[in-house]
Amino acid sequence: MKPLTHRHRALLVVTGLSLAFTALACRLVELHVFRHTELSREAAANREQVVHQQGRRGEIRDCNGNLLANSQSVRIVAADPSITTSNAPAIARQLAPWLKMDEPVLVARLTGPGKYVRLKLKVDEDTVAQIKALKIKGLVFEDQFLRTYPNGPLASHVIGFVDVDNKGVQGIEAGLDKYLSGVAGYEIIERDRKGREIRANRDEEIGPRDGLNVVLTVDQVIQHIAEVELEKAMAEFHPQAGVIIVSRPKTGEILAMSCRPTFDPNNPGAFPADARRNRCVSDVAEPGSTFKIVVCSGALNDGVVTLADRFDCEHGAWSFAGRILHDSHPYGVLSVEEILFHSSNIGAAKIGVTKLGAARLYDYIRAYGFGHKTGIDLPGEVSGIAHPLAKWNPLSISRIPMGHEIAATPLQMMMAMNAIANGGHLMKPVIVKSVMDENNLAVAKFQPQDVRQPITLRASLLMATALRRVASPEGTAPKAAVKGYDVAGKTGTAEKIENGQYVKKYYSSFIGYLPAADPEISILVSLDNPVGGAYYGGSVAGPVFRGVAEKVTQYLAIPPQFPDADDKKVAKL
Amino acid sequence: MRSNRKRESLRFGNVAKSLITCLSIAAIGVGYVWQKNQIYRLGDEIKKRETALTATEKRNTMLAAQLAQLKSPVYLEARCQQANLGLVAPKETQTIRLLEPGPEWDARFLPAVQPAAQKTAKPAKPATKVVASR
Repeated sequence: MKPLTHRHRALLVVTGLSLAFTALACRLVELHVFRHTELSREAAANREQVVHQQGRRGEIRDCNGNLLANSQSVRIVAADPSITTSNAPAIARQLAPWLKMDEPVLVARLTGPGKYVRLKLKVDEDTVAQIKALKIKGLVFEDQFLRTYPNGPLASHVIGFVDVDNKGVQGIEAGLDKYLSGVAGYEIIERDRKGREIRANRDEEIGPRDGLNVVLTVDQVIQHIAEVELEKAMAEFHPQAGVIIVSRPKTGEILAMSCRPTFDPNNPGAFPADARRNRCVSDVAEPGSTFKIVVCSGALNDGVVTLADRFDCEHGAWSFAGRILHDSHPYGVLSVEEILFHSSNIGAAKIGVTKLGAARLYDYIRAYGFGHKTGIDLPGEVSGIAHPLAKWNPLSISRIPMGHEIAATPLQMMMAMNAIANGGHLMKPVIVKSVMDENNLAVAKFQPQDVRQPITLRASLLMATALRRVASPEGTAPKAAVKGYDVAGKTGTAEKIENGQYVKKYYSSFIGYLPAADPEISILVSLDNPVGGAYYGGSVAGPVFRGVAEKVTQYLAIPPQFPDADDKKVAKL
Repeated sequence: MRSNRKRESLRFGNVAKSLITCLSIAAIGVGYVWQKNQIYRLGDEIKKRETALTATEKRNTMLAAQLAQLKSPVYLEARCQQANLGLVAPKETQTIRLLEPGPEWDARFLPAVQPAAQKTAKPAKPATKVVASR
């Protein structure tokens, strides 16, 4: 074989190199031209990361700006099992005391399938710092907001609570979720080899928007007063449930709304659903004698009776439409005023039957808002039961005036009494004062709203005259009298219905306002089935009303109409 | 000789031009790198401040909740009882109520203010001004 010449060898090398470079050039063309889009996307995916940021949920504050609910930053501790599986028992041993979890549970999670597993939610920053110091590979820490309620169970039924995704479930949290929930943002970032963000290469950045802050009409001090007094009543009378509402009759603002049983919104799952229900708006019951204000005010408004008109109360038993109607105490002839402050069922029924009539009574029931939702900004409100006139039976006209055959929420009863206190004007209940942004500028303001005027000012003043005597020694609620103040109110003791039958269990209630001449506050107290002897509204709910009223008048500095004589002597000395 | 000198100066000029060009390119390169470095350094500074701001915001929220807890009526009442301060609400006779300017104030005090204003040497001020000056 003829040996290759120098020239041939050179040609061979050049040919080889040319082929190699051509192949390389082809590959480069393929990568940079034909697969450019795909590869550049892949490169970006390796380098870039989309980080989602949650908007902080807005705060809930009371009317004086005190914090009732806010969102705190906590962390989710997660792991990448593809990294942690090999060393899971050792990692679990290190993490268990910090995460307060059992080691076997942690081992199971650390060795699970996939590349992401959550180990624990709601871990505070200090604990995260301690875990980070352990320098365990394969752990991930994510931001999370934890809703906290610094006052615990205070006003829990009003405030409500949120679910695991920070979405409102109940109360204001649910009712005003659209204002409270923030808007999530995101940013596209690049990380270096150590996983740190290269800030200069941040691509897109749309910051999260925090939720708006909600200011309530509720005053946390008055709420506390109501809670303490209700707790005392629960301990004394052992009712199944209890409700106190404090409001301003002139504006319809709710200053306090307390229910028992109650719950802690920081841990709502630990309480039964029954305890989480806001009974002020979601529970209906026959109101009993407190409903007499409707028939009496209606009759006074129509001018068909005066306070001095007298009715024979049949000494405690009156037969109407084949059924006998009883009074708790036998009365002879009573004036309309006496019917109210003695709370005579027969008297109220006779006003309805003989003077007002079914059609007008029904008109007043609707005008006072019964059978309709009040429109308060709390979810779960029910409209109560007010049967249309066509469904009334012959007995209805004698039963409805004394608060039977009709069902109302405590809030509806409160607003009806407020209408009488407010010169006949029915106000819409207001529980949200305003919605503010982060700079404390009002985004929305909720003004008092006059719904309608069921009765005239004159009729309301006449009613006030009669209702003042309820808390007097001759009335049904002398224990509701507040020293130094002129109180107007009405007691109610309604028999409960179980399985379609009236049973010897009662709803005891008292609704009142003070000062009667120029009402500043109104208070409703209702106890469901008090046990231990006393069950009349005047004896059970009356003292609770007084307890709340004494403290609230002092807190709000409402001047007394009758300053105490003994105090004056002390002052002179 | 002359042509030689001419060739030498031409060569020196070319070298100088090349040198200046090279230096300029190098300066641009170094400047670019320096600027890039500054951008990254500034980015890091921004990131540090962002992290600090977030941490401060988190701490503020936590402190706000703590403050709310400390200001809550439940806590204050418990503290009062613990400290046995014997605090009681003031009686009505221990309270002095100041009347806010308004119709009630006018009705009670305006008749007394107006004659006093008329006694002065200056012409009597309109009632509205007296009200405004209180």
